Amino acid sequence: MTWPTLAALLLSAIPILLLCIGDPKRLRAKDRKDGGMATPKRRLLAALACVPGIACALTGDAAAFLMWLGGCAMVGWAATFWFRSATPKAPS
Amino acid sequence: MIHLKKDETKAMVAVHGWSGILLGILLYAVVLTGTAAVFAHEIGAWSAGHVSTQSAFDKPIDATVRRLTAMTPAKYHDDVNIFEIGDHGLGVFFHRHETGPDGKPAERGIYYQLDNQGRITKTVEGLDEDVFGPRNDDALSSFLVDTHVRLHLPNPWGLLLTGILGLAMLVAAISGLLIHRHLFKDIFTLRARANPVLVNRDKHSVAGTWSLPFAFILAFTGSFFSFFGTIGVPVVAMAAFSGDIEALSNAVFGNPGKVDARPVAIGNLDRVTTDAIRRVGDAPTFMAIEKFSRADSKVTVFHNPKVGDIEPVVLVYEGADATFIRAKPSVGIRPSVGGTLTGIMGPLHFGNFAGMLSKAIWFALGYAMCYVTFTGMRLWLVRRQDEAGSFAWLERTLTVVGFGLPLALTVSAAAFLVTMPLGSSVYWTPAAFLIASALTILLGIVAPSNDRLTWTIRGATGLVMLSLPPLRLLAAGGPGWGEAVAVGQPVIAALDIAFLAVGAWLVHGCWRETGARRSSGPVLNRPIEAQS
Repeated sequence: MTWPTLAALLLSAIPILLLCIGDPKRLRAKDRKDGGMATPKRRLLAALACVPGIACALTGDAAAFLMWLGGCAMVGWAATFWFRSATPKAPS
Repeated sequence: MIHLKKDETKAMVAVHGWSGILLGILLYAVVLTGTAAVFAHEIGAWSAGHVSTQSAFDKPIDATVRRLTAMTPAKYHDDVNIFEIGDHGLGVFFHRHETGPDGKPAERGIYYQLDNQGRITKTVEGLDEDVFGPRNDDALSSFLVDTHVRLHLPNPWGLLLTGILGLAMLVAAISGLLIHRHLFKDIFTLRARANPVLVNRDKHSVAGTWSLPFAFILAFTGSFFSFFGTIGVPVVAMAAFSGDIEALSNAVFGNPGKVDARPVAIGNLDRVTTDAIRRVGDAPTFMAIEKFSRADSKVTVFHNPKVGDIEPVVLVYEGADATFIRAKPSVGIRPSVGGTLTGIMGPLHFGNFAGMLSKAIWFALGYAMCYVTFTGMRLWLVRRQDEAGSFAWLERTLTVVGFGLPLALTVSAAAFLVTMPLGSSVYWTPAAFLIASALTILLGIVAPSNDRLTWTIRGATGLVMLSLPPLRLLAAGGPGWGEAVAVGQPVIAALDIAFLAVGAWLVHGCWRETGARRSSGPVLNRPIEAQS
């Protein structure tokens, strides 16, 4: 069960990572003017990130689904931390 | 996300902040020890140098139980509980049911502790609450679990307190969800060098948002366990069984059947374990024999969830001839939604339903909960920075608890490793924790600044962590990495490496920040890397 769960996590980690990299608000906080990823593209990536979890749920593998959900949360948090803005900004 | 009116939002912010600041420190202690307790079994194996990997139930137990039966007075032959202890040894508790000194149902009997070769290492006679407790080889993991479950307060107060803390966490999660208007918009925004309020707000809300579903799950299941025995069972017994808790227990969890008190020797327990392993695919974790040596005896075998499932498996066998009767739900005798929900509470809370991977994910989620609790309290303080004078004591308290608790836990682990070979770890593990806590509190009082206090505690934690692997090898006489991996216990080496890595990181951070500290302002005004 470990490997399919890890595979599901990895498949979801890629769109989560892309969502993080292209997140408009994160980029604005870094003073980047390019506006980030377009909304339809972000929605598509969010849906893609959910597909492995839905597959786990549809196969009735509750353990894999829970691990996928918890793992995605940690991947998302880690990605946000990794790509955190370090650009000095004036206090608001 | 969810739009509340301005005054409603204000009220929710007040509920969120004050519930957090009033109970946050205790909640942090419970969550931190719970996070470590996810690996309680592994910490037990690491600290005591357990090198056996074969479950006690994978080996024959029938002859051992018959040998113990012959040694045990017949007055304790009512029921028998069998479970694993230590390095895959066996714990066997022959007992009878009676009313304890407090008027509540209790079990009195003889508790045999056996090593993995079937040799008796200790025999204790008395009430269940007296005979079960920390042993010399599991004092550290027991201490962790006991701190998490009831903060070492006497029953039922400890359980009630942790239950209330669980509810406070639930309230904080719900109110946090309601006050955070841009839940998904802010989910990737972590400003590291903005003003302190924004920095702390981002840290708190990003970690809180990502782990929100699990905040609900962990808080609810934790409260369930705390309130189950202290409030739930007595209230239901009062309402439906005239206060008879034993009758409630038999009706809800028992195995109904015709009474047949004829003396009949117990069936072959090896046949039970072999059949149970064949049906579930894994060794049992617990075996309960009711009406031992009677014709109507029943053997209930408890297992971890099957692969792909999160509900533990319970099988029932005839005691007299060891034949399989049925799979039993957690509650009642027929499968039900309530029974399933009750059954999955444990795995959902402990994260032990799929081996190391689920435990690792639950550990990370527990760490996220600690982080959310700690940063939430910091945010509350930073927002009141103008009143820093009046809240300086709270800032120090937060530092003492936030960083001092990991230090005290690490010191207690070091004390365990030193005193276990001397046979005094049951005393010294909590004693060292208390001594380290007292010294940290003293440091919190005398330290010239909160900044210096923070880095002193973190540096000390790092140094103690670095000392743990050598202490395990040299003082406790534990196995080396090669031996541990060779016998199938890589977790011993993995925990050593984790302690070395985190210890080195803390000491390095302390070294670096101590040098930079003189040129910076107070910790609340400093870049967030210095505070995390």
